[in-house]
Amino acid sequence: MASAITFERTSETPEEQQLRADVRDFLATELPKGVVKPSLGMSASHDPDFSAKLAGMGWVGMALPKQYGGHSRSAVDRFIVVEELLSHGAPVGAHWVADRQSGQSILKFGTEDQKREFLPKIAAGKCWFSIGMSEPNSGSDLASVSTRGVRGDGGWIVNGTKIWTSGAHQNHFFIVLCRTSPLEGDKHHGLTQMLVDLTLPGLSINPITFLDGRHDFNEVVFEDVFVPDEYVMGEVGMGWAQVNSELAYERAGPDRYLSTYQVVENFVRERVDGSPSPKVAEALGRLTARYWSLRQMSFTISRMIDQGQAPAVQASIVKDMGTVFEQDVIEVLRALIDDEPSLDTDSLFENLLAQSILTGPSFTIRGGTTEVLRTVASRGLAGRA
Amino acid sequence: MDHVRDAPTADPLLVETVDRLLGDVSTQEVVQQAEADGWAPAVWEALAEAGLPWISVPTEAGGSGGTVTDACTVLRGIGRHAAPVPLAETGLLGGWLLGSGGLQVPDGPVTVVPGRPGDSVGMVSAGSGWALSGRAHNVAWASKADRIAALIDVDGTTHIASIPTTNIKADDRRALSGEPRQTVDLDGIVLDTDSVAVAPDGVDREALAVRGALSRVNLMAGAGERIRDITVQYAHEREQFGRAIARFQAVQIHLVRCAEEAANVAMAADTATASFEVADAMFEVGAAKCLASDLSKVITKASHQAHGAIGMTQEYLLHQYSRRLWTWREEYGNAEYWAGRIGQIVAGHGADRLWPLITAGSAELAGTGG
Repeated sequence: MASAITFERTSETPEEQQLRADVRDFLATELPKGVVKPSLGMSASHDPDFSAKLAGMGWVGMALPKQYGGHSRSAVDRFIVVEELLSHGAPVGAHWVADRQSGQSILKFGTEDQKREFLPKIAAGKCWFSIGMSEPNSGSDLASVSTRGVRGDGGWIVNGTKIWTSGAHQNHFFIVLCRTSPLEGDKHHGLTQMLVDLTLPGLSINPITFLDGRHDFNEVVFEDVFVPDEYVMGEVGMGWAQVNSELAYERAGPDRYLSTYQVVENFVRERVDGSPSPKVAEALGRLTARYWSLRQMSFTISRMIDQGQAPAVQASIVKDMGTVFEQDVIEVLRALIDDEPSLDTDSLFENLLAQSILTGPSFTIRGGTTEVLRTVASRGLAGRA
Repeated sequence: MDHVRDAPTADPLLVETVDRLLGDVSTQEVVQQAEADGWAPAVWEALAEAGLPWISVPTEAGGSGGTVTDACTVLRGIGRHAAPVPLAETGLLGGWLLGSGGLQVPDGPVTVVPGRPGDSVGMVSAGSGWALSGRAHNVAWASKADRIAALIDVDGTTHIASIPTTNIKADDRRALSGEPRQTVDLDGIVLDTDSVAVAPDGVDREALAVRGALSRVNLMAGAGERIRDITVQYAHEREQFGRAIARFQAVQIHLVRCAEEAANVAMAADTATASFEVADAMFEVGAAKCLASDLSKVITKASHQAHGAIGMTQEYLLHQYSRRLWTWREEYGNAEYWAGRIGQIVAGHGADRLWPLITAGSAELAGTGG
């Protein structure tokens, strides 16, 4: 009955090593350390020029097929590029969601026309997506969404509200999960995904200010928004299965353990000399060991995907461990310094520490809470994944 | 072989052979009886008959040949079955020391000195041989071993000594696991010159510490996997409030935390073992030992909590594994020891090279890249 959750060790090929070296060279030139302020993981700055340059290197939409403007690269290649970008604190905000999940979903479920329309622009770093899943009354219980699509002439008339929509005010499209047939019996039936242009008439985008004053989140309200049939993604009524597949891309990547890596790196840069106290050395050693093992596990998942496996349970546990860890990092560093952190400081370390204290609680909420992930993992342990 | 991608992986046939053999002989009852007897001779006999204790010791030195990865595969099995025998000490550690010095590897069990990093055993030339002095601590199965393989410093030169156990004085000290970890008094022991050799380059206390840590990491990975299996199975069988306790979210958290960290330790052990095959892998082995020692707390805490009172009894098997984790986590460097050493490396290597260190480990330190 019980089944083990295992990971099979893997390592980089010479080509993969070369790719990593190339990305490092690119970043050293484009974003020299000490000149450009690093971002914290995937909560990264929106920088269209950087996204376009990165795309010019062939490092956006890497896993999309060449025939749609992508690069037909492996999940491992994408993992390497993303890991280098996030550890460097690169401003990946503009293309992030499109690259990580929207493009993959369109490739898997979209029509030929949709693939031709969206994928080349995504791979060029010029078409940016938000996520249209959560609603005011549907968080972890995603299948309870109440945004409704009603049949109209040649399309759907959509009403409802999406919430926590990061970047809706900057991005071009979002993939919206909505109910297209009345709720009868199983709530997982009757859901549909639609590709929605964020500038459509009837849509209003209202900022939700983050607790530190930043504007990233939005509420997106639909009032009789007409979505033509050509923008329905996948099968009408099959949205639940599709959205779950999309969530798998959201989990277990390097974005789930690197959110506070730049805080550690700048701590070492600013506060550690060649002869650290035993307390500092032990803390740094522990953090380094955790980064080392977490990234091995995450790397392994990419390899498993390339081998045609579906490591959904492994992805859930790596996201759980990774996000708890990236929060722990903050507390470990806090305990090493005698400071009162503030955003208003000349010290990059102190600024990043302050920023990560303020955003830290979100790490274990976004993309599936700790509690949801552990439920998924426990089903896997029971052999019911 | 200069890159970790060329390192061997665990041989599935060996995994199966060890599991079948130990599943038959290292039963819960045998492991329990070994606490009274000091070890399990039947388990030793079965392993010795298959040549398993001497894997990774070259055949020309009297070993069974095979890779360090093979030896670690056997140790994973020892951990998975709580086998109460000095397998790590006989092959990966003691057999390696004796073989490296060109000294004879005996047919019986071997143990190793120093057991603790601070131990100091002395040796002076006496007549045509050597006279030993000092006391070694936490020596595994000292009374059951045929020989103690010891690393001893003589005027700045490291020597390997093969010490017969017939006349040694050892106390009855046992570790938390119930396995012997004895204090051995070496004063007055005299060795002939044939039992001592100058250690070749690369055979020193540091190398022994890294090998010792690698052995414990693999033992702990095996025990961690077993604890996960025991706990998941128990929680799906035990019913309270009319249903299996695994149906309760509060219990699921314990199962998931246990499984997560068991997988983490297993991954760390695999990576450290592969790295050790190709390089001076102090970084990977130290990181893995730091993790395994720290995570023993999570694994044992979660599994005991999921079990409730039954897990605290001698009649139920969980303690045979949790007590071993509590023992192994301290041996060959605890979490603080290895964390401190890795932290020193991080500080010396600098902020700009921290990420390359995390991704490439010992290859970064050797300057050969990932």
